[in-house]
Amino acid sequence: MSATNMIGTEVRRATNSARRTDITAVLGSLTAAAALTGLLFDQIAPFSGVVGFVAIAYAVFLALYALMVSLDDDSLAVRDKLASAVVHSLALIALGALVFIVIYPIYMGVEALGHLNFFTEDMADAGTLDPLELGGVLHAAVGTLEQITIALVITVPLGLTCAIFLNETRGMFTRLVRTVVEAMTALPSIVAGLFVYASLILVLGFQRSGFAAGCAISVMMLPIMIRAADVVVRLVPSSLKEASYALGAGQLRTVWHVVLPTARSGLTTSVLLATARGIGETSPVLITAGFTPFLNWNPFADSQVSLPLATFQLVTSSEETMKQRGFGAAAVLMALVLVLFVLARLIGGRAHGGR
Amino acid sequence: MKRLAVLLAVLLLAAPPAQAQNYTPISGAGSTWSYNALDQWRKNVVQYGMRINFAGTGSTDGRNQFKAGQVDFAVSEIPYGLTDAGVRDVPPKDGTYAYMPIVAGGTSLMYNLKIGGKRVTNLRLSGEVVTKIFTGGITSWADPAIAKDNPGLKLPDRKVVPVVRSDGSGTSAQFTAWMAARHGGIWDEYCRKAKRATPCGFTSNYPLIAPAVGQSGSLGVANYVRQDGSEGSITYVEYSYARNAGFPVAKLLNSKGYYVEPKAQAVAVALMQAKINQDLTQDLGAVYTNGDARSYPMSSYSYMILPIAEGGKFNKDKGRTLSDFAYYFLCEGQQQADRLGFSPLPINLVRAGLDQVARIPGTTRQNKDISKCNNPTFSADGSNTLATNAPQPPDCDKQGTTQCKEGTGGATENTENNNNAATGNNNTNGVNPTGNPTDAPADPAAVGEDVVDPVTGETVRRSGQSATATPVSVSLRQNNSSLLIVVITVLMVVLIFGPPLVSRWMRRPGGDR
Amino acid sequence: MTQLISAEPLERAQEPDGPRRRFRAPGGIDRAFRLVLRAAGLAVLVMMATVGLFLLTRGADAISKSGFGFLTTQAWEPDSLNFGIAAVLVGTVLIASVALVVAFPLALGVALYISEYAPRKAKRALTSLVDLMAAVPSVVYGLFGSTFLQWQGVDVPRWISIQFGWIPFLHVDGANPDDPLATDSAYVTSTFWAGLIVGFMVMPFICSVMREAFSTAPQGEREGAYALGATRWGMIRSVVLPFGRSGMIGGTMLGLGRAMGETIAVAMIIAPVFTIQTQILGSGGNSVSALIASRWGAASPFGLSALMAAGLALFLLTLVVNFAASAVIARSRSGQGS
Repeated sequence: MSATNMIGTEVRRATNSARRTDITAVLGSLTAAAALTGLLFDQIAPFSGVVGFVAIAYAVFLALYALMVSLDDDSLAVRDKLASAVVHSLALIALGALVFIVIYPIYMGVEALGHLNFFTEDMADAGTLDPLELGGVLHAAVGTLEQITIALVITVPLGLTCAIFLNETRGMFTRLVRTVVEAMTALPSIVAGLFVYASLILVLGFQRSGFAAGCAISVMMLPIMIRAADVVVRLVPSSLKEASYALGAGQLRTVWHVVLPTARSGLTTSVLLATARGIGETSPVLITAGFTPFLNWNPFADSQVSLPLATFQLVTSSEETMKQRGFGAAAVLMALVLVLFVLARLIGGRAHGGR
Repeated sequence: MKRLAVLLAVLLLAAPPAQAQNYTPISGAGSTWSYNALDQWRKNVVQYGMRINFAGTGSTDGRNQFKAGQVDFAVSEIPYGLTDAGVRDVPPKDGTYAYMPIVAGGTSLMYNLKIGGKRVTNLRLSGEVVTKIFTGGITSWADPAIAKDNPGLKLPDRKVVPVVRSDGSGTSAQFTAWMAARHGGIWDEYCRKAKRATPCGFTSNYPLIAPAVGQSGSLGVANYVRQDGSEGSITYVEYSYARNAGFPVAKLLNSKGYYVEPKAQAVAVALMQAKINQDLTQDLGAVYTNGDARSYPMSSYSYMILPIAEGGKFNKDKGRTLSDFAYYFLCEGQQQADRLGFSPLPINLVRAGLDQVARIPGTTRQNKDISKCNNPTFSADGSNTLATNAPQPPDCDKQGTTQCKEGTGGATENTENNNNAATGNNNTNGVNPTGNPTDAPADPAAVGEDVVDPVTGETVRRSGQSATATPVSVSLRQNNSSLLIVVITVLMVVLIFGPPLVSRWMRRPGGDR
Repeated sequence: MTQLISAEPLERAQEPDGPRRRFRAPGGIDRAFRLVLRAAGLAVLVMMATVGLFLLTRGADAISKSGFGFLTTQAWEPDSLNFGIAAVLVGTVLIASVALVVAFPLALGVALYISEYAPRKAKRALTSLVDLMAAVPSVVYGLFGSTFLQWQGVDVPRWISIQFGWIPFLHVDGANPDDPLATDSAYVTSTFWAGLIVGFMVMPFICSVMREAFSTAPQGEREGAYALGATRWGMIRSVVLPFGRSGMIGGTMLGLGRAMGETIAVAMIIAPVFTIQTQILGSGGNSVSALIASRWGAASPFGLSALMAAGLALFLLTLVVNFAASAVIARSRSGQGS
């Protein structure tokens, strides 16, 4: 407890204040870079194409911006401003790509999303030729939620305990576990599906069901969760732990009261990353739970479909309406994920260090 | 838990037809080729209270799962016991399964080709040319062999990009089975290049060697071909994909010397010759060589693999559901086949299928009066209406010097003939009343420009809308000018930034304090 | 456990800044706690090892039949015993490399932006956005790449290959920019596009872990750096980046694992070829996961065994890469405890 409070009270000081010249320097450099590149493209070199323009203009912009800053400031400031410009533009590119990818399925599935029945019905009444007024993806949403719940019930306790294990003990065994887990992050999802199919279904005689799919997803999620949690638990300053030991706390108390609370937001992140990986999986679900157009509340019997699997089956159809339903399903999945993640961040709490 | 149970009860009660007959749900897996049809039928029988789960995981997976007892039925383009790439697919125990034809279709050749910026929609190909295209024997659309099939078209010297399935698929199996049967020599040669055992026979995994471009799934190949950037590509895919994408399909030459489009009727006519083995597996040899002028050679049908003995998870209750489902789609279900991009089964196959349904344990053994099926291929007297009524192909589709200009597949616009040489021949023949290019108001530009460059063989003479060359930095390659550009650029930069910087720098020592 | 108790004081004195060892034997509750930890570790190990064993037993048949040729053969015709992972493994590495080249700077930029530059109010929203990007199903990425991005953005590889074609791996055979009849098909379905899309997919994974690591950088040290007159970039370089190094590497390794194992998106974009294709901008490429995804459905029993063997090879490759990375992490400042 004490550790979090102590750190929580420490607030990062705001040290930056943008001057007007900074903004004019950026804007001026941008304009000059665009003009110069335009001149280069139009009049001098036989370059063409948007890509080339952007690439060259960006380089010119950086050069000009450095020049502008160097007129007023020393080289330290120049480096600072340049780094800031690069970080900002990288963030801009990444966030732009991100927004694009998030918008894409919504745009493609907007017609399906416009029908209320899309959220309240399964596909029982909608065949290949039926219009969007019939059928929806409720069955897949239910499947996704149940399967990911099963997977989380398996992986969260196991994964987080294992991450603590990797950090609290040492020796050959620990190293072995860590190595194996790390290598498993690259397991192709289809192999996880085939593994669960071969073991759980063919050998142990389970049915193809949401539960089997949950197990297959767990196999995918576990290494990612352990790996990410391992990294953040490792970041807990050892001085904090030592302080706890110095106060006479045992290992359990130290982990419970110091390590876990300190790494809380990081652990949330690790769970979210694993969930993100697991919730979007297609092929393991197809192999272990089959495909069904019907709503099935029971994850322990009969086929159960999930949203990404429904997306996959629907978008590969030759019919336009089915494709729209597929993209709509992907958009529903993202909405679901967004709600879950925001909730998780609220519960997972804010970390120290400025958030 | 309790709430779930209540919800479940509510849901069950909410579906009144479900109470009518209390069918046990069944599940199946297999062919993605016939998924569209099964999905529609599955939906249609929901009103009778049947719950059919079907997963389109691919024919081979369907057969494997059926063998492993994981599903109640499988749908496959290929029967058990065949040899793919030298490996025999071991069938389940004899007397536990049977084959039943469910839906027919033609494997179509979707392509993306333009002449002078205008889409070609009436391409015609002979079997040998198709085989050569997909085995790397023909690499340019200006190839004389293609020109021979298309007397009305002067195709550009563009690269042929054959697009094939990179995943294991029944469509590949059907296509390669046709190539192996009809043009075994060329096909084996290609297999040998891919280091496969020959004679090659059919395969679900198309050998991927250049210039074939592999794409995953029907959607993948169709999407590749439909892009503007992939002009010159051609692929084999279900007819419905080409139709829904608004793209044309090639007409294929049949034994009678006519080029035919894979429409439902053409497939049904072709399959009249399907020889049905004792176990209902297909022997399509006679279909490929069907002598009817209206038949599409690359026609085939897919099977349902039925259990005919109880065991594992299969029991009589499931048999009842399965038999009623089968009775439905063999009869009424066939009506929708055309709209779904398939072809209804001809009467010989439906009769044979009904016999198999009677063997399912727990079958309802309906005495279907097939004259009431409304199957477009049937008539009251039991003859095949579709086959009798199917129109004969127009003369312009006959092999020779004429070419129809009507669009095919999903492409509705016509393609005007642009080959003047053919036009000349046409007039002398005087056979073609409709597709005669001289009837069409000839584009003056098109007529005048048709000059073939004798040196390069560059035959593209785009009427008006000439080849839009993407401007690329070609001239940069010339070394002397690139140096000049660098000098100019440096000079320009110095000129712009030099004076203010220099003046600033000069002012600094004395200027500030 | 015994190690902890018997550690000698002398040795401790020489230790750098690491966790001090304790001398009191753990009490009853701690003993139980450690038991639980070990049990969890064991459970995970058993689970993962079973998957590995599954791959091994399934793939053993194929490996024993093909022998050493399994590593050197490029073709994949398991049924005529002519198969190997030379082409697919190289393809996997190339795709993963392109993905990392794309994802690493982007992830670093976004992580630094969120933790150091962004206005405080925007941080939470940006974090959620990045999380959301991680959860977009791979099918959507695959479709986005295969039907939209690679055709609309075909100018990018064309421009690169024209300007930098003299670098061997950026050259594209069979593409002639001067030919007006040339199509875009030489520049699509390539390693580059598959890698780019996979890069976008793994970027949020790398970014999240990095951001988490950066935000744990001690506040006191940050202010210390400022107090000594460091600029913001100076502070980042001297405090945040060194502190977050283990997070950066850990996150990158996580992303690398995901990139190597990515299945559907790669299978949808790439046009598989079974020769070693090093021209990353040109059509054709391959990866182990995509191979498994596209072939398992119609594989013969032996073909399936061959696919599992390929999966095993991928597993071993990841093992090696991670070994190398963990050696680096262990030496970084915040990498204590391993």
